[in-house]
Amino acid sequence: MNVDVFEDERQHHFVLNMGPQHPSTHGVLRVLLKMDGEYVLDPQPVLGYVHRCHERIGEFKPAKAFMPNVARMDYLGALIYNQGYAMLLERAAGIEVPRRAEYIRVITSELNRIQSHLLWYGAYLLDLGAFTPIMYTFDDREHILDALEDVCGSRLTYCYSRVGGVCKDIDDKFIERVRAFIERLRGRFPMYEELVNGNVIVQRRMQNVGEYTPELCARFGVTGPLLRSAGVEYDIRKAEPYSVYPEFDFEIPLAQKGDAWAAFNVRFREMEQSLRIIEQALDKLPDGEVMAPKVPRKLKLPQGDYNCSVEAPRGELSYYLVSDGSDIPYRIKVRTPSYSNLSVVPEVCKGMMIADVVTCMGALDLVIPEIDR
Amino acid sequence: MDIKALKNKWLSVGTQVEETEYSQCGYDYDITLQAQQIHPFAELMLAEGFYLVSVTAVHARPAIEVVYQFAIAGSQRCRVIARIAVKEDGTVPTICDVYDGANWHEREVRDFYGVVFAGHPNLEPLILAEEDVDLKPLLKDEKRLKDISELRRKVAEPEPEKTAPAEKKAPAAEEQKAAKPQASN
Repeated sequence: MNVDVFEDERQHHFVLNMGPQHPSTHGVLRVLLKMDGEYVLDPQPVLGYVHRCHERIGEFKPAKAFMPNVARMDYLGALIYNQGYAMLLERAAGIEVPRRAEYIRVITSELNRIQSHLLWYGAYLLDLGAFTPIMYTFDDREHILDALEDVCGSRLTYCYSRVGGVCKDIDDKFIERVRAFIERLRGRFPMYEELVNGNVIVQRRMQNVGEYTPELCARFGVTGPLLRSAGVEYDIRKAEPYSVYPEFDFEIPLAQKGDAWAAFNVRFREMEQSLRIIEQALDKLPDGEVMAPKVPRKLKLPQGDYNCSVEAPRGELSYYLVSDGSDIPYRIKVRTPSYSNLSVVPEVCKGMMIADVVTCMGALDLVIPEIDR
Repeated sequence: MDIKALKNKWLSVGTQVEETEYSQCGYDYDITLQAQQIHPFAELMLAEGFYLVSVTAVHARPAIEVVYQFAIAGSQRCRVIARIAVKEDGTVPTICDVYDGANWHEREVRDFYGVVFAGHPNLEPLILAEEDVDLKPLLKDEKRLKDISELRRKVAEPEPEKTAPAEKKAPAAEEQKAAKPQASN
C-alpha cells in the first residue's frame, strides 16, 4: 500500500493502524490513519482481506447457480441481493413472475432490511460505547430471523428467490408471526426513542460529525440512507419502481444536515416505513402460484448486456451482466453500495479526531464482504 | 430534466447515442465513444447532476471495453451506460479528477484487467494483494475470448423480436400510415 513518506521535523506525525481486526470495522477492514496527535490527517482504507473472487466464479458456472454467491456478499441483505439477482435474470430471459411471489419477495426483503438496520443500530451504538441497546435490538431481530428461518431455511445467508419466483410458499403461521412482530416493533419504537435517540450524550456524539453534501455524494457515488440524510430524495424503490413497490404507500425519510446524527435518524425512520410496506403487502397478499410455470432448466440468456438495480439496506445495488447467448454469463459485475460509500472516508474524515472517525465510519453501516466481494 | 437537450449535449461531445428499452436491459441510454472523449463526457455528466454508479470492463476482441454507468439521483429515471475501447497502448484516460468515486473503481479495473488509467494518482492494487499486481484474473484465455460483436444485443431485423427497441417500431408505423393515403390516391 502506498503510504507517503512525509517530512515532519518535529516528528509529531505517525501512522496508526486500525484493523483488520478492530471491533469497530465490523469485519476485516484495515484503515491506515496518518495522525498528528489525536487528529487524523489522512485516513486510507486498505481492502481485500475477504476477497473471494465472486465475479470470477460467476463466469464459470450457469447464471442460475450464482444465486447462493450473491447472498454471501452482503450477509445482512441477502434476501434483497437474491431478489435483485433473480430480477436481473428474469429481465434478461423475459420471464414473468407470479404476483404472489412478488409480494412474498417484498415482504421478506423488507423484513431483511429491518433486521439489517436493527443490527446496525445496536452495533453502531456499541462502537460508541453504549452497551445496552444491542441487547434490545438483537432481541427484536431474533423474531425476524426465527420467522424467516421457517420459510427460507436459513438465518443469515438466505437463498430464497429463484428465477421465476421463490422456492417455498409462506404459510399462515409465518403471516401470523410477522403481524405479531409488526405490533411488537411498533411498541418498541417509543422505548428506543426514549432510551437512545433522546439521549443527549448520543446526540452530542453524532451531531456535526462527517457532514455530507449532495454535491459530495454525487462525486463519490454515495447512495442509500447517507444520501437521503443529505436531503436528496432518492430511493430506487421509488425512482425506478421495481417488483410491486408502486402498489404500496410509503415515504422516503429525509434529513438535511448529512451528519452522522442525520443518517442515524434516517435509518431509524426507515424501519417504520418498512413495517408499513410489510403490513400493506400482508393485507393485499394475492393467492396463486409462487413459481412461474415454465422456467427452462438450462436458462439461456439472449446476447447483450443487462442491468438491474435495487435498493439494498446500504444503498444502490446494481448487477451488470454481459451474455454471449449461452447459459453461462460472459461477465458479471456487482456494484455494491458500501464500496462507493467507503471511498468517501479519505475525504470526509480528514482533520477529524480519531474517536470521530469511528462515529463517521459506523454511520456508513459497512459490510466488508460486499466491499471486497 | 430536459432529455432532448441532454441528448444534444451528449452528441456535441462526439458520442454515439442509442436509446434502449429499460424493461428489457435495465438502462435507458447506451453511449459509445472514443477513449479520449470520456473526460469531457464525465465533466458533462457531473454538471448535469449524474452520479457514477460503477466502472467496469469486459474483455473481448479486439480490445478490452471499459464500461461506465451513470444514473441521476432524483425522481426521474435516467440510467446511462457509456463504453469506450481501451487504446492500443493499453491505457484510457482517468476520470477520477472529475468523479472522485472513480478512483477506487478504476483501481479495481486495473487489478482485474490490467487497464492503465492514464493520469490516475495512485494505481496501486486495491482489492488484490500487492504481490498479485500482474495476475489480471478476469482476462479470458484464448479459448473463451469472444468477439465484441457476439456480446452485443441483436437488433431484430429478420423477426420482430422483443429485443428491438420501441423507438424503431414507431417510425415504421408512421411510414405505413403515410403510405396508405398515397395508395388510395
